[in-house]
Amino acid sequence: MYDAKTQPLASLRNIHKAYGNLKVLSGIDLDMSPGERVVVIGPSGGGKSTLLRIMMGLEQITEGSIEFEGQPYITALNGKTRIDANVRKKMGMVFQHYTLFPHLSILNNLMLAAVKTRGMARAEARDKAMQLLARLGLEDKAGAYPSHLSGGQKQRVAIARALMLDPQLMLFDEVTSALDPELVAEVEQVMLELAEQRLPMMIVTHDMWFARNIASRVIFCAGGVVVEDGPPEQVLGDPLNPRTREFIQRVFHIHG
Amino acid sequence: MWRGFEGIMKIDFSFLSKYHEALLMGLGTTLHLTVICFGFALVLGFALALLRGSKIAPVAWAATLYVEFFRGTPVLVQLFWIFYCLPIFLGTELSNFTSAVVCLSLYGGAIMSESFRSGLKSIGREQYDAAHALGLGPWTRTIYVLLPQAVLRAVPVLLSNGVGLFKESALISAVGMAELMFIGSTISNRTARPVEVFTVIALIYFLVAFPLTRLVAVLERRILRRLAI
Amino acid sequence: MEYDLQFHYVKQAWPHLMEGLWVTLQLTFAANVIALTLGFGIALLVMSRHWFVRAPFALLIEFFRCTPVLVQVIWFFYCVPILFGVYLDPMPMGILALGLNLACFNAEAYRAAIQAVPREQMDAGVALGFSPVQRVVYIVFPHALRAALPVLITNGITLFQQSALVALVAIGDLMYMGKQVATETYRPIETFTTVALIYFAVSFPVARLAALVERRLDVARV
Ligand SMILES: Nc1ncnc2c1ncn2[C@@H]1O[C@H](COP(=O)(O)OP(=O)(O)O)[C@@H](O)[C@H]1O
Ligand SMILES: [Mg+2]
Repeated sequence: MYDAKTQPLASLRNIHKAYGNLKVLSGIDLDMSPGERVVVIGPSGGGKSTLLRIMMGLEQITEGSIEFEGQPYITALNGKTRIDANVRKKMGMVFQHYTLFPHLSILNNLMLAAVKTRGMARAEARDKAMQLLARLGLEDKAGAYPSHLSGGQKQRVAIARALMLDPQLMLFDEVTSALDPELVAEVEQVMLELAEQRLPMMIVTHDMWFARNIASRVIFCAGGVVVEDGPPEQVLGDPLNPRTREFIQRVFHIHG
Repeated sequence: MWRGFEGIMKIDFSFLSKYHEALLMGLGTTLHLTVICFGFALVLGFALALLRGSKIAPVAWAATLYVEFFRGTPVLVQLFWIFYCLPIFLGTELSNFTSAVVCLSLYGGAIMSESFRSGLKSIGREQYDAAHALGLGPWTRTIYVLLPQAVLRAVPVLLSNGVGLFKESALISAVGMAELMFIGSTISNRTARPVEVFTVIALIYFLVAFPLTRLVAVLERRILRRLAI
Repeated sequence: MEYDLQFHYVKQAWPHLMEGLWVTLQLTFAANVIALTLGFGIALLVMSRHWFVRAPFALLIEFFRCTPVLVQVIWFFYCVPILFGVYLDPMPMGILALGLNLACFNAEAYRAAIQAVPREQMDAGVALGFSPVQRVVYIVFPHALRAALPVLITNGITLFQQSALVALVAIGDLMYMGKQVATETYRPIETFTTVALIYFAVSFPVARLAALVERRLDVARV
């Protein structure tokens, strides 16, 4: 039985990932406890998306293993990746590019997986969807199609769609990067609210102010390894590693 | 000696009013034929598109060969083959209409399978990712996420394929079926006034096909806007 | 089926079929030359700023695209001599009819490709001080030709196949020869199968080439 007090929520061991000859991750180790909000930062192409996609079970790995709530989740064995489908159901993910299903109304976007994969009754799924939409201030959009929504609204719907399945860990991959600046806040606000409810999250973002606000822990990833790992004040404010320092300086310089 | 534009002076369309019923009948046959073949070709095209994606190699391979062959040979050759050879194979005579339907449906199916396929291909990787992340199984993914988008995207192209069939159907006149083109040729032979007759025939085809191509353009914009994400 | 296939009749008629194929290829080649050049001109005209230049060419394009090729060919054969007093041999007439048809389809391909030239490319051209003609020559044309190439090749093959219908106006192309051989030998299955295979043998490799070009260009664009 999983004990949230003593055991990590997720523990990644020695994760390696290569696309053909291109090594993207070379030995990631990470223990994440429940209630933690881990923000992953790092240079573009450093493997942040890959890490989240692996957590979601979207990518094979070349080496390593992941446990979730004390159960084996992903293991690499002789070049094959075994992913436990039941554990996978505990992850939710929101992507950078809007991935709503364009041919379905907002309500149906939310209901589809709940009804088809979790066997939820339609009426129940509809109620739950409407509640979620109301919470995010989108109840009047239930019948609309994704193309009628702004980018910020679409990302909020994408978050709601993931929440429909009651994930134990939410993965956010640069969810505000494709948004116009004035739409970023509404999405970040939703994520901050989820943080208040202590939903465990892994977040990739380039927005350092947001990172500081939401993170309970920040990880700097570069060259396929974890370079620095610590509380946000330290990693973002006074990094120990020179590579982190250089990256932070550059990013704050651009954004500041 | 070049006789300039003498011919233009003699143009007179009035005699055609006598033939308007025959022309309408021809148009009716052409449309009837087109609609039937459109229906068959849709079904065949969809089936072929699925078969081409089959995991069983020989099945995929056979479907591909079929499509490439029908796309790679003239419709007229296909028509003559079906008209002269199919009865020998089947051992029975086929009516003109049946031969025409078989020919245009087989050809249309090959063309439309390509349209369905490109509809499927135009779905981005993010859609697959999202479906995976939501834990949708292969069946749910295909039926509720991929197929509807593929079909929606294919609608305008399929409709232009239909207009294509409408135009190709003029070839059927070559085997003596009394559709629009055949009736036109007959009238032209009888009256010895090809200029007026074939101009009118061309106009009739145009008046049917042109609005349809506009409709295709409108649908395409609408659907693209709707599916824009 | 009680039919025994005998291909030796076809073998005897092989030179006739090759003669026909040669005519078909000439027809296809000439029509493509006309269409590749004329098509670009029509595309530029149909994008003119002046409606009275645009309109007639837009109509021309729509007319050729929205009527059967057979009707166009027949119309040319019967009507051009009567209307304009021009008497051409069947072959030039066929080339003219098919060439014009293809030119209109190619014009659409060129037009779409020209419109797809990114706005910033033109802006960059202006910023770099190119004249309007220089912008067309150095920026628009290379972009458009690259983008249109797969469609132009595909249109070219389609014309190769559609050229079969000139057999109906007694031009001695592959289809015409095939019909003749089939009638003379009473061997329609063998003959038409062979004719189909010949058409396929020519158009399939070219279609593959078009697909290859398209993939190459897609890769180059990224
Ligand atoms: N499907 C893929 N095939 C090949 N290479 C990939 C693929 N996805 C990502 N990569 C490569 O892996 C590296 C890491 O990518 P990514 O995880 O997206 O980085 P980040 O999200 O940190 O910017 C990059 O060099 C990228 O080009
Ligand atoms: Mg990324």
